[in-house]
Amino acid sequence: MHQPDTDTWFMPDSLQVSALLSVLAAEFGVAATPEYSATVVYADSFDWRLFRQGYILHCHNQAWTLYHGDSGEITVQQGGPELNRSCFARDFPPGVLREVLAPLLAVRCLLPMATVTLIGHQIRLLNRDEKTVARVVFEEQRLATAQPVFRMLRLFGIRGYDQALHTVRRILEENGVTQPASPLIGFVEGCKGEGRQPLDYSSKFTMELHAGYTARQAMVRIYRQLLTAINQNIPGVIEDFDSEFLHDLRVAIRRTRSGLSLVKNVLPTPVVESFKKDFGILGSITGPTRDLDVYLLEQDDYLARLPTTLQPALHAFFEGLALRRQAAHKKMVRALQSKKSKAILSAWKHYLTSDDQEPASAAEVDIGHLSGRIIFRRFKRVMKDGKALDAATPDAEVHRLRIQCKKLRYAIEFFSSLYPVEEIALLVRQLKKLQDILGAFNDLSVQQEMLHRSLEGLRAGSHRNLEQAAALGGLMQSLFQQQQELRGHFAEAFAMFSDPQNEALFNRLFRNRQEPS
Amino acid sequence: MSIIAVYNIKGGVGKTATSVNLAYLSSRHGHKTLLCDMDPQGSASFYFRIRAAKKFNSKKLLKGGKHIEENIKGTDFPSLDMLPADFSYRNIDIALDDFKKSNQRLSKVLQPLQSEYEQIFLDCPPNITLLSENIFFAADYILVPVIPTTLSLLSLKQLFDFLEKIGHSRDKVLIFFSMAEKRKKMHIEMMQAMQNKTGVLQAVIPYSADVERMGVYRQPVNAAMPGSVAATAYEKLWDEISVYLAS
Repeated sequence: MHQPDTDTWFMPDSLQVSALLSVLAAEFGVAATPEYSATVVYADSFDWRLFRQGYILHCHNQAWTLYHGDSGEITVQQGGPELNRSCFARDFPPGVLREVLAPLLAVRCLLPMATVTLIGHQIRLLNRDEKTVARVVFEEQRLATAQPVFRMLRLFGIRGYDQALHTVRRILEENGVTQPASPLIGFVEGCKGEGRQPLDYSSKFTMELHAGYTARQAMVRIYRQLLTAINQNIPGVIEDFDSEFLHDLRVAIRRTRSGLSLVKNVLPTPVVESFKKDFGILGSITGPTRDLDVYLLEQDDYLARLPTTLQPALHAFFEGLALRRQAAHKKMVRALQSKKSKAILSAWKHYLTSDDQEPASAAEVDIGHLSGRIIFRRFKRVMKDGKALDAATPDAEVHRLRIQCKKLRYAIEFFSSLYPVEEIALLVRQLKKLQDILGAFNDLSVQQEMLHRSLEGLRAGSHRNLEQAAALGGLMQSLFQQQQELRGHFAEAFAMFSDPQNEALFNRLFRNRQEPS
Repeated sequence: MSIIAVYNIKGGVGKTATSVNLAYLSSRHGHKTLLCDMDPQGSASFYFRIRAAKKFNSKKLLKGGKHIEENIKGTDFPSLDMLPADFSYRNIDIALDDFKKSNQRLSKVLQPLQSEYEQIFLDCPPNITLLSENIFFAADYILVPVIPTTLSLLSLKQLFDFLEKIGHSRDKVLIFFSMAEKRKKMHIEMMQAMQNKTGVLQAVIPYSADVERMGVYRQPVNAAMPGSVAATAYEKLWDEISVYLAS
């Protein structure tokens, strides 16, 4: 039976390439291209941003190839940087490859995922005009780390020559080439050798819970997954590949802390209190570096806000920030590698694999029941604080509402698998709109404070400082103006969130939720 | 998405070599490209070793849709496909006459292909006919190879007059010198006189035996002899044209 979509097969061990070629030569002209042999490094971001979009990227020294994983069709082949540590889209020369990579990778860097040696040669099958009508590629893929050698054959048809393709398929089948193979087997197996697997990490929190779980079972599963995320990100934070490792680490820590304070009486109070404090410590260890990361990521936006005459002074300011960030990172790494930090994480891991001697009062409650109560409580709180929101609300109160929204968001995300997907998606979308505006507002507020502090630290008298002060002043003005504009949108953002239909949905899903059958 | 017609009223000025090499360069620069051989002689098809199916003819071409799609063939080069010519194209004007808006039919049948191909090159036959009018209507740019001689200039004037007569702007005409010979005084003088006029490109394709030999090795010169003088000249021409295509 023909499988028209399969175009890659394993070569049977007993079949020699030369034997197959002589059979093909009876039907077609055969032209061989020189053998190629290259050790390529497959690269992707830590969270597989390219693979997620169907792309495979590999490099051989400075030669990069991007192609579609499914079809094997090459999208672009281009020179680029060496895949050193922290290789970003901006390190590629302007061109098609960079245009594809930049929006996908954004702030993430490329990391080596697998190293595979590809040895092969291409055979062109020709008609009587010596026109190529199909291509056959024999390829061996060898892993750098392990022994297996994958011998495979790929068949590429050419548009308008279906008959020839048909003939080749028939010949292959007659010669026992029938076992389909993935052309990416070397890549996938190579990742395994490095302890990775495509799509094994995402910064999105997804957790499958079932209504039959007890609250403790559910929370332990959630905490374990968050702990996994913490442990997955720490090496990247220490190596400082890109800023997202730290961001994701902090989110996982914050989610853990939120869980501990939102979900009461499921773990014993002494445990909760002690780990809340501990995760608070981890949060504060990682805070200063992240704050500086945020400013550094804003560099281009900040520069664009100023007239060109003031931009050089701002450059100098950012150079200072980069130095401070270097120092902060060093300090953070020391703290993360300290006995204290390691002890916190191993104690937490140990706790999550053991039983409570004195279970908390709500430990055995069905999570389907408890989750509704938790989410609805957070919702009521956001509604109450949000109703007081108007254009004149002080920054600190806006910030408080923002935190309330975050807690609601985390609570929904923890338990989302217990509710209908589409309705949860709708709620999260509405909430996210509100969060986006509050988040943007808060960022502007914090940034102005930081600039003001920096301004106060500048000594008068030097021309350089004078120019820097002017740049900071200009920037503050621009940020302030944008912040004021955002205030004007509070009411409408909250009105959308507190829309009666949205409120009714919250009520229906979470308020009077019956014990699931 | 652009349609580029390579056209001259005169024959033997290097139209086919230009279409073949530019279409190849376009695909090499990552653009999915289609070369349509509009010339019943089928020289461009010959260069790519592609024959039209027996059932394909000018009527099928003008019907468009799947009749065209089924007859597009992949060349030996990635991202470069071709619609080969059929000898029946010699009577294509008669077939065109049967259509309403007979001067826009080609544009209409090429329309759906523009979602698949970023660049479509038309290798045109040397004459001024209803097909030419169709080609001018369909094309975003009319690329005219000109041998720097007096007669060539005359044919250029005929082209401009014709465009004016059928109500097309001459803005989309791009002229470049082809088969230029440095040792011929007239070529040099003619090029100097023309080079600063609007629509005249700076790249010059020299007369070259390498281009003539394309008929022997049946490949674009940029694929067979990428470092040759002719290949370099086509690269320059492509670079210049791609600026127009990007705008």
